[in-house]
Amino acid sequence: MTETRYRRLLALYPRDFRQEYGEEMLAVLMTDPRRGQVVDVLRGAGAAHLRAVRSGHDRAARVVQIFGAILLLGVALRRSGGGLLNPLLSAEPRPIYLEGVDAIRLLGWGLVVVAAFRGWRAIGAAAALAALAGEIASPARFYVDTPASVLHVYWMIVAGGVVLIAGLVARGGAVARPRGLAAIVLAGVFLALQSPILFVHELSPLRSGLVALAAALVLVALIRQSSEIRGRLVCWAAPVIVTLPLVQWGFGGFIEHNMRHPESTRLINPMQWTVLVLVPIVAFVATSWLGSRRSKGRPVAADGFGGTYDGDVRRHD
Amino acid sequence: MNEPTFLILTALAGEPRHGYAVIEDVERITGGRVRLRAGTLYAALDRLRGEGLIEVDREEIVQSRLRRYYRLTGAGEQRLGAESARLREQATIAERRLRARRTDFGGATA
Repeated sequence: MTETRYRRLLALYPRDFRQEYGEEMLAVLMTDPRRGQVVDVLRGAGAAHLRAVRSGHDRAARVVQIFGAILLLGVALRRSGGGLLNPLLSAEPRPIYLEGVDAIRLLGWGLVVVAAFRGWRAIGAAAALAALAGEIASPARFYVDTPASVLHVYWMIVAGGVVLIAGLVARGGAVARPRGLAAIVLAGVFLALQSPILFVHELSPLRSGLVALAAALVLVALIRQSSEIRGRLVCWAAPVIVTLPLVQWGFGGFIEHNMRHPESTRLINPMQWTVLVLVPIVAFVATSWLGSRRSKGRPVAADGFGGTYDGDVRRHD
Repeated sequence: MNEPTFLILTALAGEPRHGYAVIEDVERITGGRVRLRAGTLYAALDRLRGEGLIEVDREEIVQSRLRRYYRLTGAGEQRLGAESARLREQATIAERRLRARRTDFGGATA
């Protein structure tokens, strides 16, 4: 194999890796052109890309886990509002009523927050898995009659999945209070308070105001992070954010058809499910890749390899 | 610690070596059983540098090509020592059990 071909092969590595080891690897490949080198280099390039995407995410992942679980807890409280608030607001004594899935979601996301702070990885993962199951089970009950019920809360299902994965990826051990925690807690409280029970019809515009306030607080928490963590948080948020336009525009016609034709309700087909699963994954990978490219804007040689050596020997003492 | 990592650290425990010299030394110490390929070697070197177990010793240009020598760090020495001790302990247990087994079978192999 010629040097040019090896160079083309090495171009598959991330730029940083290539800068650091490209010339060395080329020298080894030219000296030792064995069978299997090509496959090994291809595998190495894939692994290097995965490492580059993962690198730095472990620290941000803990913040994602904490912030995400708090916000999902707020939303879960809002959705359980009737069962929790009616007895409290009623003049007559009534028992607190919670459906099974609501209780699982509330307990699950609450436990995830505690586990994230204490560094209990297994408990956090189990709690997130249970809460995510609750998020899926809740709309799934109505799926056959109203498929849109899944689509309307799909962003929450994706958010639940993101929190679960973040907990698994996060660096182990107990953590200190992350920056912007107060803003996120307040955002969670606002999300919980926007229960329809608290807002009679005339006050309903205030509910949207609370959502806007919560969004602004999330933005404040994001701004308070270091630039590296902030970039990573955007990557983790991308899969959730992308589901909103995806459902709005990608499934608008589908939802409208079902609304207009209740006698012939269409279910989400396998291709649509594939799109629903793949788009958030692609959003994460794409934002991670863009982020890593932007943060490593060091100049490189035209062939992608760095390293102009000004002497024959350079010692590293 | 996986085998290639152990072997790379072992190769560098002898003296600082460049990439191709590591491949040759690993082949030598394993009696030709393991011959690392470039992708595997440099992925491991990158990881070991990241973990602080090895570092760059010096760089040379030989026939207009870069040759970078790597050396074991103090942390690398400790990790290799601990791994060697672990493997020795396991090997000792295996040998002891095999001896006992041969005794039980009166010297006959099963």
